[in-house]
Amino acid sequence: MKTQKVNPIYYIIVGAMTVCFFLFHTIPFIQGIFYSFTDWKGYGNWEWVGLRNYLQLFKDPDVINAYKFTFTFALITTVLVNLLSLVLACALNANIYCAGFLKAAYFLPYMLGNLMIGFIFNYIFANIIPPIGQMLGIEMLSVNILGTDKAMWGIIFVTVWASSAFNTLVYTAGLKAINTDIYEAAAIDGATGFRRFWLITFPLLATSFTINMVLSIKGFLMVYDQIMAMTNGGPGMTTTSIAVLIYKRGLSGGQFAYQSANAVILFIVVATISLLQLRFLEKREAKLND
Amino acid sequence: MSKKLVLSLVVSLSSMLVGCGGSSSNNNTLELFSSKAENVAILESIVSEFNAQNPEYTIKVVAPADHATVLKTRMAKNDMPDILAMGGDSYFTEVQSAGMLVDLSNEAYIITLHESYLDMVYNRNENKEEIVYGVPYATNASGVIYNKDLFEQAGVDVPNTWNEFINVIETLDSKGIEPFVFTYKDSWTILPPWNSMAPVIQPANFMDDRLQDKTTFVGTHEQVLENIITLMDYAQPDFMGMSYDDGNKAFAMGEGAMIINGNWAINQVIAANPDINLGMFAFPTSNNAIENKLTSGVDVLFAVVKGNSEKEEVAKKFVEFATTPEIATKYINDQFAFSAIKGVEQTNPMVSDASADIMAGNVENFPDHYYPNGLDLSAVLSGFAMNYSSGMDNEANILATLADLDAKYDAVNIK
Repeated sequence: MKTQKVNPIYYIIVGAMTVCFFLFHTIPFIQGIFYSFTDWKGYGNWEWVGLRNYLQLFKDPDVINAYKFTFTFALITTVLVNLLSLVLACALNANIYCAGFLKAAYFLPYMLGNLMIGFIFNYIFANIIPPIGQMLGIEMLSVNILGTDKAMWGIIFVTVWASSAFNTLVYTAGLKAINTDIYEAAAIDGATGFRRFWLITFPLLATSFTINMVLSIKGFLMVYDQIMAMTNGGPGMTTTSIAVLIYKRGLSGGQFAYQSANAVILFIVVATISLLQLRFLEKREAKLND
Repeated sequence: MSKKLVLSLVVSLSSMLVGCGGSSSNNNTLELFSSKAENVAILESIVSEFNAQNPEYTIKVVAPADHATVLKTRMAKNDMPDILAMGGDSYFTEVQSAGMLVDLSNEAYIITLHESYLDMVYNRNENKEEIVYGVPYATNASGVIYNKDLFEQAGVDVPNTWNEFINVIETLDSKGIEPFVFTYKDSWTILPPWNSMAPVIQPANFMDDRLQDKTTFVGTHEQVLENIITLMDYAQPDFMGMSYDDGNKAFAMGEGAMIINGNWAINQVIAANPDINLGMFAFPTSNNAIENKLTSGVDVLFAVVKGNSEKEEVAKKFVEFATTPEIATKYINDQFAFSAIKGVEQTNPMVSDASADIMAGNVENFPDHYYPNGLDLSAVLSGFAMNYSSGMDNEANILATLADLDAKYDAVNIK
């Protein structure tokens, strides 16, 4: 192997990014861990309290409820998003009329911010859906769903709509990479329709599937923007996700250190789940690629 | 999370830097720190009048976006502004308990202030001592805002007791007028009825007893929630899904006869319909009309920060200037607020009933101002309203809600 001289511009760019990342991401992160062992309120004096914040977390019903909500939400949303975007990607990959336009249309939500989408749907749920529900005589749709105990489903609907765009894109790219010869061979062997999808297409999408699953569940466990825009955690505490709880209690509720501990736990949970998923799904990939 | 943290750090850091640059360099320049972005314009106009009369000094108004954080940071750095214009809330207690404020008890204008508001500020002192560290200036009021035309159409008058209130509601309902517009999608709007009823219904020493764990919400506040349920029985359809903004518009368009909220909502209602003929009355909690009080708190108070004596004198002079009836009137007219100064009356006909209660000193502070910082009462009450609308048994709902409130109170009271 020959060692090639690397253009220093690469080092400069990577170096600058590293410094920025370290300054604006790593340092605050380490500070957060540090303060989670204190009783700091966000200002003034503080003292070491050891693991007290962490022990209190497991006894706090609000925290436990937030975890319950977040996990239910993340599981349901991940499954729905991946199902929907897989179907969409397969449909868009077929030789359908104006596929280009449809691809652009389905990708549109990705270009809007989650906060923006939240505000738009806030309006739709409050002012557009209830009259339609009343007209059709469907009781569940004739009130603003975000004000009921089913508010979670409103948020799931919006999140699925918004998140499918990116996942569809990844699946479409995966489908494009599959060699058409394989399909021809499969057709000769008599595999068509769902059988072809299940035995040929889906296994060959393994890499895309891994990426989408890991990114989805990571993103949905940290759900924040949509909830702030649509329900602000309510009614009651029914849609308070962990991130929303950390923000509300930590900054305005004067529990900065306590909620920092909550944030550290959330980080550990998300990191562990992502790593487990990666290991499991990569093993599956390896098996399928053999 | 960490991204937001950085952002807030950067924002507060930069505002600190701005703060440093502006102050303390010059002995003739004083800084007036306002915690309310809404009153900056009127404060600046008052200050410029003062500056014109006292050309040797200059007062500058600052009102940073995240005022609480900025003030706390400056407290920690011992770089305090010279004059504070802030709410009568827990932040005031923090500054006062740090011993940073000048005793203004002997100023001439103190006798011109309403005792009820002075008491509220005394109550905010750490040891509740009767020393004036904060001069109550502008006040707000919460009660029932009603549509006078709809009341006339139904032939009902302003109620003074709970039974009269129920009568009014039933009459409106029978005439096909929606009695209320509730906006419980924004959970804080469930607080006003609680805030108005709790001080009347709860036992006399409840606040102190609860703090010392001698009593609970269970056993003392059932009536408050029962009354809220009675009101919700007359709520418009989908009241849980109506937001504050939409509700104010609906009320302005005559889609309901009453909203239970404060004077701060009036501006938005008028903006939606300038021709609306509205009024405001104290929430009639009790059947004994004398017991019913207008819920009113100190929205803005002035405090002078200890520093060099020359600056203190100028700051005192400014507070004296601001509390003259002429300037105080100018302030409340601009802000649509009420004044803590005797004889300074909010004459706008829309709030004349409420104004009369204030002039008579017939007011009670917001009880949630006395609950520990971090107790999220609105979330608890929003859960209560959700349970109601999804058909939970009322008795069970009341008990569960109060037990939940006690548990949350204890959780924040320990820390």
